[in-house]
This record gives sequence, structure tokens and C-alpha cells, in this order.
Amino acid sequence: MRVRAWFSLTRASIMEFLQFRLSALVMFLGNIIYLIVIYNLWKAIFASVDNGIVNGMSFNDTMIYLVLASAQFTFMEAYLVWEMGRSIQSGRIVLELLKPIPIEQYKLFGIEGGNIAAFVVTFIPTFIIVQVITKGAIPMGINLVYYLVAATLGMLINFSIDFLIGTVCLYTESTWGINIMKQVVVLFLSGAVVPLAFFPDKLRALALFLPFQAIYNTPLTFLTSNELTTMNSIKMLGVQAIWVVVLFVLAKLFWHLSERVITVNGG
Amino acid sequence: MNSVIELKSVDKEFKVLNRHEGLKGSFRDLFSRDYKIVEAVKNVSMTIEAGTIVGYLGPNGAGKSTTIKMMTGVLQPTRGEILVNGRVPYKNRTSNAQNIGVVFGQRSQLWWSLPLIESFKLLKDIYKISDKDYKDMLALYESLVDIKELYSKPVRQMSLGQRTLSDILAAFLHNPPIVFLDEPTIGLDVSMKAKIRDLIKALNKEKNTTVILTTHDMGDVDALCERIIIIDKGTMLYDNDIEHLRNFFGAYRTLKIRTNKNTEVVSEEEANEQLEIIKSKVASKFPDNDFIYGTEEGWYSILLDDSKIHLMKVLSFLQEQMTIYDVRLEEISTESVIKKIYEDSERMKKQEKAEVSHES
Repeated sequence: MRVRAWFSLTRASIMEFLQFRLSALVMFLGNIIYLIVIYNLWKAIFASVDNGIVNGMSFNDTMIYLVLASAQFTFMEAYLVWEMGRSIQSGRIVLELLKPIPIEQYKLFGIEGGNIAAFVVTFIPTFIIVQVITKGAIPMGINLVYYLVAATLGMLINFSIDFLIGTVCLYTESTWGINIMKQVVVLFLSGAVVPLAFFPDKLRALALFLPFQAIYNTPLTFLTSNELTTMNSIKMLGVQAIWVVVLFVLAKLFWHLSERVITVNGG
Repeated sequence: MNSVIELKSVDKEFKVLNRHEGLKGSFRDLFSRDYKIVEAVKNVSMTIEAGTIVGYLGPNGAGKSTTIKMMTGVLQPTRGEILVNGRVPYKNRTSNAQNIGVVFGQRSQLWWSLPLIESFKLLKDIYKISDKDYKDMLALYESLVDIKELYSKPVRQMSLGQRTLSDILAAFLHNPPIVFLDEPTIGLDVSMKAKIRDLIKALNKEKNTTVILTTHDMGDVDALCERIIIIDKGTMLYDNDIEHLRNFFGAYRTLKIRTNKNTEVVSEEEANEQLEIIKSKVASKFPDNDFIYGTEEGWYSILLDDSKIHLMKVLSFLQEQMTIYDVRLEEISTESVIKKIYEDSERMKKQEKAEVSHES
């Protein structure tokens, strides 16, 4: 069974993540600085309105959303595009192609363990801190289970997009520009930097139509919204699931078409 | 018969963009459709029997790695047929991967930050090795090299030698019928090289693994290879066993002389100057022979074909011309044989070219 290999890869990537304690600490500090910046930024924005509500969100709502979004970023972002670009440039990709496992599975389970480890190390503490400071602003119930499912699906969507973009590196042989572009587009349209509620109507409609919002907006909605019906929740997860299937198949297809670039014209 | 690898008139061409010079040229390249075809491998055929260690040799850029990549299935041949373990490798790369092991020189397939044993455990699950086979293999490894003390060491903390050793063991772990070793001893010290050669030999014997080895180190060839294939500029120059190779050039001897009393006083420039003098003298006396000259540590060497011109004749001629303090005779080494093969093919090509340009 291939499940054993999946499990083994996940296990190894958790261990790899834990090897780099210092890098986790630096990531944590960087995150704090980011939070200080957005705290002051949003404070200024909310200071300019009278009733303390912008687009239906209070300052507290917004901060909770953004803190959780940045915590989610630290466990979800695996820098796969970087990794693939480097492995293509250095020729290491050849060794990965010569494993008896399809490369997308090899990559997925090779980074997913890191995601899980980072979830435990950064997201859970952040979650607890937010809950304590706000004296229980995050609803605690079935929505937490929804969140876990939605975050997993969001992770798979994020992976598929990264894999798709990483494949482009086969053609361009450079990573920097592509990665920056991907980062900006995904983070913005997913609602990781600015909550979708603040988007102009047309842009929001567009964002809701695209897969990116299913990475951050959907899972975070389960944590921040009090008014979700079961029907709505399941619908949201369904949309995510559809995106996972569509994007994963697309990524796989695109890779297999692009593989010819290596096999025909060498690395 | 029992062939594990079969290549039938395999060609591999690459399309390369014709780059232009300068800033203007670089801009032009952005939109250029001006490709040229580079033939990396031309009409290569070979059949390799199970259990042999084959030395696949050639100068840098000869097409060795390209051939190996085609055999592993990472590259698709432009023309011709390849069968590895009875499969077409590039069509069944993933299933072919189960039946081969690879070590690519400087690149490691091990998990960089994890202890070695974790990489082995991972490979065990990736290649679906049964518990028993895995245990047996580790027991075999432990009987061959001192690997046990490396198990808990993270790969990134290993020396190059330890890492290469580990990488070779990782490639053999799932007991594949074929293992490709691309320059496994590059950059290693003498004792580590010997260790790795012994290991490869032992694993080949124990498991009857076919090993395809590319190297620039003739020590590897002498110690390991039963058969040698030489390739240069994509074409095969030689394919036979190593005994043949030496017999083929058996009449060749190396004459080494020293014309200075003290070897240490000779600077490199002086040595080259002296070599030029010897060259011109010998060449004018024996014009129809192609000797190969060299100098090393105060010695001047002349490689000559003893069946064409008697070595003693050359020596006595030189003795008339200059004072010789010391003389040595050497049978040809594998290294000089291979050097000779490269140079002969080079010369033949030049002659062909000259003839073509004469005709036109």
C-alpha cells in the first residue's frame, strides 16, 4: 500500500520541521512584528469612523480575523514554489522523478507534515492567546471541527496552486518573479491580508468566484462568524472540495504535460 | 539472453537557443526562434548482461549523463530503442524506478536534516521493502562497512565521504537489479575511494546487481569494471572488456627519462621547455611515429608502440643527444590507454575534416 509511504513522508517532514527550532522562533518573531504593524494600521482606519464599525466589522472582529489569518499563514505556507524552482534549477528534480511515487504525492506528503507541525506549534497557541485576551470571542462548538476540515481543504487548494505555479518554473527556469506574483495574488484574493468584507462589491464578487478565498476566507469564517447555519457550512465545505478536485487534477495534468519539457529537452 | 539493459541505435538531440552577443543580442534572444540542434548522443547501441559492472567513460560533456538519464527514464530518446529490465524506461518511469537505484555524484537523495536511519526507514516505505528484506540488507551493510555509527548522524553533518557512502547504500537498499552510479568517487580521499570501491564490488557480488558506473578515475575502472564502454562527443569509441583494452594497446610502452640530476630544481617552465626539446629531436629522427609526450615530477615520458618502433632505438638515440640520469620503462596504464583512444578519435576526426575541405 502506498499509504505507508504517505505516512512515512509526513512523519519525516514533521521531524524535519522540528529540527529547525530557530527558524520557527524567527518565524514567530516576524509574525509579531507583522501583527504590530497591522494593529496600528487598522486602528488608524477605525479611528476615522464614528460608530466603530466598518463594512459590518468592528475593530475587534477585524483584529481577530487578521491575527488568525497570519497564524494560518505560518502553518499553511510551505514555500513549495521556491522549493520546486530550486530543485529544478539544481537538477535535484531528477532524483525526485526517480522515486516510485508520483511526484505530486511525493511533494504533498513531503510538506504536509511541516504544515501539521506548524499548526500545533504556532496556530494552536495563537488561538488560545486570542481566546484568552478577547475573553472568548471565538465561538466554540461544531464550528471548530468545520474549521479543521476547511483548513485541510484550504491547504490542499494552496498546495495545488503552488504545484501548478511551481511547474511553470520548468519553462522559465527562474523562480523569484513568479513566486512573488503568486504570493501577492493569492494572499490578497484569499482574504489573508484584508478581510473580504472590506473589498469593493465587484472585487468581492470576483474574489468569491475564485478559488483563493477558499484557502483563507472560508476556514476563518468558521472561526469568526456566529451566524452560520449547518446548511451554509456544508455548502462552503462543498465549494472547497470542488476546488480541491478541480485544481489538483489541473495541477497533475499540467505537470504531466510539462514533464515533456524535461524528458524531451533535458535539464 | 540475460540482458538487463538494451540500447538499439539511440540518438538524443537537444534544441538549444542560439544566443547572441552583448546587450542587444540578449534582447534579441528574448524573441528569437533561432534554435540549433545539438546531438548529445549519436547511434549508441549496447547490451548489458545481468551482474556486470560496466565502466562508462568519456571526457566531460561526452554524453554519459545523457545516456544514463535515458536509461533511468528521465530523458526520452529522440530515436532508437531502450529497454531496461524489459521495460521502456521513459514510458514507465515510476514502475521502472522501483527496479533501479541511482547515485548522482554531488546530489544526495537523503533527507538532509534527518539522521541517516530515518532516510533508510523512509526509503523502506517508499520502495515497499519488506521488514525481513530491510533487516537483511542492513545486516549485510553492517558486515561490509562501519555504518552503524552513522545511523544517528544527520546527513548535513556528514563528511562528503560518509555521505557518498550513505547514498550508495541508499541506492542499493531496495535491492534493485540495476544501479547507476554517476561519478561516485568524485572528490574523495584515497582511503574513502578504496572503501567505496570495495563496497560496490561486494554488493555487486552479493546481490548480483548490474552496476553502470561513470567515472574519471581510472582507479575505479581498474578496481571494478569488467567491461568498458567509451563515448566521446556522443559516439561510442570502444566497447569491450578491460583485458581486451589492455591487449589492444599491449604493444604500447611508456619510456620515462630524467635529464636532471636533482628533480627539485626543475621548475614547470623548465620542464616544459626541456620536453619541447625532446619532442622536436625525437620527432625529427622518427617522423612517421605518433608518440605521446608528458612530464611529471622531473620525468619526461614518451608513449610509443613497441611493435612499430623499438623502444631501445629511441632510448639510445636520446642517450646520444643528452645526458640521461635515470630511465624507467612502464607498461601502459588504463589511464593512458583511454587517453590514447580519445586522442586517436580526435585526430581521425581532424583528418576527415581536412580531407573533406581538400575535396571541396
